[in-house]
Amino acid sequence: MMSRTLADRLAAIRDRAPAPRPARTDDDRLGRLARWFDARTDVTEHGTVLVVERSVAIATETAELLRLHEPAAYFDTETTGLSTGAGTVIFLAGVARLVGGRVTVRQYLLPDYPYEPPLLRAVAADLASSTRIVTYNGRTFDLPMLVARLTVHGLFREQAALPAAHDDLLPDARRLFRRPLGGARLADVESGVLGVRRTSDCPGSEVPTRYFGYLRGGSPDILADVLDHNFQDVVSLVLLEAELCRLRAGGWREAPVLDPRGMALDLLRAGAVDDALELVETAQALTADPAEGNALRRVAARLLIALGQVERAEELWTLATRRASLDAATAWIEVARIRERHRADLRGAMEAAAAASRVLDVAFALGRGGSMAEVGRTRIVVERRLRRLRRWVGAAERRARFAAGPVGRVA
Amino acid sequence: MLTAPPSNADQAIAALLADPMMSPLIAAHRELEPRPPRHAPWPARIDPRVVTALRARGIDAPYTHQASAYAAASGGRNVVVVTPTASGKTLCYNMPVLDAIAKDPAARALYLFPTKALAADQLVELRALANAAAIGLKTHTYDGDTPPNVRSVVRAAGQVVITNPDMLHAAILPHHTKWFKLFENLQFVVIDELHTYRGLFGSHVANVVRRLRRICRHYGADPVFICASATIANPRELAERILEAPVELVDDNGAPSGRKHILVINPPVANEQLGIRGSALLTGQHLAERLIRGGVQTIAFARSRTAVEVLTSYLRETFAPPGHPHTIRGYRGGYLPNERHAIEAGLRDGRVRGVVATNALELGIDIGSLDAAISIGYPGTIASTWQQMGRSGRRAGTSLSALICSSAPIDQFLAAHPAYLFDSSPEHGLINPDNLHVLLNHLRASSFELPVPAAERFGIDETPMLLDVLEEDGYLRRAEDDRYYWSHDNFPASDFSLRSGAPENVVIVDTTGDRHRVLGEVDLFAAPLLVHEKAIYIHEGVQHHVDRLDWEERKAYVTRTDVDYYTDADLGITLKVLEVFEEAEEPPAGKRQRGEVMVAWKVTMFKKIKFHTHENVGWGSISIPEQEMHTTACWLVPPAELVNRYDRDTLDGALIGLARVARTTGALLLMCDPRDLGVLAQVQAPFTGRPTLYLYDAVPGGVGLTERLFTLIDELVRACRAAVDSCGCADGCPACVGPAIEVGARGKATVAELLAGMTA
Repeated sequence: MMSRTLADRLAAIRDRAPAPRPARTDDDRLGRLARWFDARTDVTEHGTVLVVERSVAIATETAELLRLHEPAAYFDTETTGLSTGAGTVIFLAGVARLVGGRVTVRQYLLPDYPYEPPLLRAVAADLASSTRIVTYNGRTFDLPMLVARLTVHGLFREQAALPAAHDDLLPDARRLFRRPLGGARLADVESGVLGVRRTSDCPGSEVPTRYFGYLRGGSPDILADVLDHNFQDVVSLVLLEAELCRLRAGGWREAPVLDPRGMALDLLRAGAVDDALELVETAQALTADPAEGNALRRVAARLLIALGQVERAEELWTLATRRASLDAATAWIEVARIRERHRADLRGAMEAAAAASRVLDVAFALGRGGSMAEVGRTRIVVERRLRRLRRWVGAAERRARFAAGPVGRVA
Repeated sequence: MLTAPPSNADQAIAALLADPMMSPLIAAHRELEPRPPRHAPWPARIDPRVVTALRARGIDAPYTHQASAYAAASGGRNVVVVTPTASGKTLCYNMPVLDAIAKDPAARALYLFPTKALAADQLVELRALANAAAIGLKTHTYDGDTPPNVRSVVRAAGQVVITNPDMLHAAILPHHTKWFKLFENLQFVVIDELHTYRGLFGSHVANVVRRLRRICRHYGADPVFICASATIANPRELAERILEAPVELVDDNGAPSGRKHILVINPPVANEQLGIRGSALLTGQHLAERLIRGGVQTIAFARSRTAVEVLTSYLRETFAPPGHPHTIRGYRGGYLPNERHAIEAGLRDGRVRGVVATNALELGIDIGSLDAAISIGYPGTIASTWQQMGRSGRRAGTSLSALICSSAPIDQFLAAHPAYLFDSSPEHGLINPDNLHVLLNHLRASSFELPVPAAERFGIDETPMLLDVLEEDGYLRRAEDDRYYWSHDNFPASDFSLRSGAPENVVIVDTTGDRHRVLGEVDLFAAPLLVHEKAIYIHEGVQHHVDRLDWEERKAYVTRTDVDYYTDADLGITLKVLEVFEEAEEPPAGKRQRGEVMVAWKVTMFKKIKFHTHENVGWGSISIPEQEMHTTACWLVPPAELVNRYDRDTLDGALIGLARVARTTGALLLMCDPRDLGVLAQVQAPFTGRPTLYLYDAVPGGVGLTERLFTLIDELVRACRAAVDSCGCADGCPACVGPAIEVGARGKATVAELLAGMTA
């Protein structure tokens, strides 16, 4: 096997021509990078860390809104890939805090792989000085990524000291903005809700390539956009959390871009039931789309039931039964369901189902029933429920009579 | 042991053996006497709960091999256990593992099985044992069938994680940070069915073990490896090659066995001139029908997926009235998990009376009470033959195993020389973990998992050179600390598969109903043969017509159909020499060379073959892009004065015959599966300009077969001459050079003359 060199054999099986060998990196990689971005170099006992510090002023009322919250570290990472496997590295971590009227940001930048352990220690220590972390999609990406890196380097104590409280704003943003914006990436929320306009940006898919380019001897300049991108991300996190506070504190009444269903759910979660109902009712009044109106009502009713406010849920559906239509029939069915399942009122349920049946007849006669197919489907649902309820009510009444004594037993 | 009263199976087998119709077909009959058990005392230090649990399951003392395996493993020594099927091999690893966890709940073990089905089986077994021992064992399988919510629990808390090498390669090692609790406390790694890790797959698995060890070292663990293997010639060598560490061999089987009859059956000659015998498939069908009818639960193994489906349909016609399809089941690789589980359960509870399987079932699934195993066609290796035969057999009572020989040369060789099967040592498990294709891929994957210090060796001493290559190719970057770091945004473990050179499978989509439904998958290598356009693809006995094969998308669209034929595709092969490593000119056999070649194959046409009569009823052409493989080969150029005596056509036929006999005998000399050895005869080879016989490793990059064969060329030629001269046929038969219709009227004589000249 050895008559040919390994190099020959390698050349023969390689799938592409060898790339030009990269120039060996300059000796003062760290210094050059630090100078380029005007970064601070922290020399710790574990190694050198490069920190870029910047801050930006925000509107006083925005800062005011966040007073309600426990102070937080707003956190976002840039990585060498999207897989959370052990070969993906965090090369830039941004940590933002609200200090007075300014958002101050520390960006930890990795000059090269060997500097990773001190960077991770510094980032973890920075985060640990807060009691709460705020991220965007951090629950599935940034935090697991940080934990994975700490694990690779055996930094378990640092891992344990990370704040326990973590608010990932992505689920909130999804609930409130995805439908009106058609997406819930941070960039969507920035342009559609926060009014942030990015002048230059680096698409996320390009981020790893840029860092590899820098590592292979490229100018630090190709990282400038990535640093700006990360800076804007953490600043936007602060603005977004403030915006969520504003919406929850009643701002939803004037919000131009908002998913009422999502907002109602959000308010209900916070226990603001009255506000949620007001929102749903307003939205219902405003919406021209009856399907959307019904969807809103359904959300509200479900949550009311979950909160134990069964009567109010029933009331909500009863309001929708006034005008004879297919939707009214559907509303009666919901009333019947609530009475049967949540109030154990079989007779009441039966009456509601009977009402549904009547409304359906009227709606059909008035031509308000929608398509034949829809009426037919609803008819089947109504009749089935009605039959079942009649049978049960009958049985319950027979049992009641029997229990009362063998008086009027019918042969 | 008490003598059991004769069961149905005993009577049916006795009747079969006594039947005068059978005797002319029986080429060999061996009877294995029942063997009493040999026990050893319980190990002194074993946790009493484990002993209690085993006693409760009727095990009063361990067999000798179980005690030896426990002693080695718990003493911190790697061990490989080699005993037959159903000898209680599982306990050889479950005993030390459960004992370690009973003593220290933080201890962890990793089990590797080659298939998901085996893993699922072992999970049931291990859980039952742990429950009996009242050890709250946290264990689960971790593979493609594991639900996402269970996965995170397994990662964090699984004490025994049961998985396969593919999953370890693609999902566990690259995400080792999520598994650090496992790796930190890893005491045992169990590798069952070690013999399956041969050839290319084995070479991959050896590299996965290299990666596993790197991760273990990183987390400060140094696990003991417990391997179990079916009988092969070199279990210890194979284990040491895969683990790259000393391994203790345990092969003193203490388990008892019942009486067993082993038959080699040769179907009657159907065509004297062509040397063709009756179909092994039909003979197998008759035998299976007879046994099943007699109440003998039977498993039949067929070599190809098509044969499995054909035989399944035949047996169903006999045994399953419409509406009761479940007494006979087909079982092969492409089935979806729930289908497989249903078949396995049916076998265990006896609802299924007969199973027709490919090698997927050959591996030791504990399906319990099978009375008879029929191998239709030699499975390719002695080890697999014994594995398949081991599927029948009980601790008490009689069982039967039969090998039905096909017309293939190696089968006919076995029918003529059954001693080879009974007495010769089985195959060597050969692997080449340093195959450059394989090694480079795993080095990439491993450097993704952890940076590689420039001084580290991954398998070979030339590791630094490979690291530089990977740096040049843009995958790695050497940093100031002299370590190579992964510097690429893709995920290297998903770039290649352990099972074949082809990373993807072709998905088969049934478009018969309103909604498209995925029937199964075939691998990329088999796809041109099985799901080319207009092929009849048979799934669970139902025929499907392949309407369209979207090669780019790797999808075959089929509709259900009902025709009286099946299809069989032809493979065309070309070969190009890239590099000569060494050569020699040694009369009288001729010039031989060894080197690297590019083999390309293309499926160009298919035949339609009628059921039952097996006549050819049509053909069609196939347009699928050519597939290529880079591998190692050796080739022989017979002396000019020998070949110049013949005209081109005669020589052409003779070379085809020579290739055929060389493959059979070459596989015997190397003790490998003939499928691993490719042959090609060219009457005027472009590279040598002369008649040439090529033999190549049928695996990308090669696994060392032809490297060894190169040193055995003269022996190969002599063995070929002996095989041809000793064959009783007139002018060629499948057992030697092939039938005259393929090699020409003077084919056999010419081959004999050539071989005589080459050994003179």
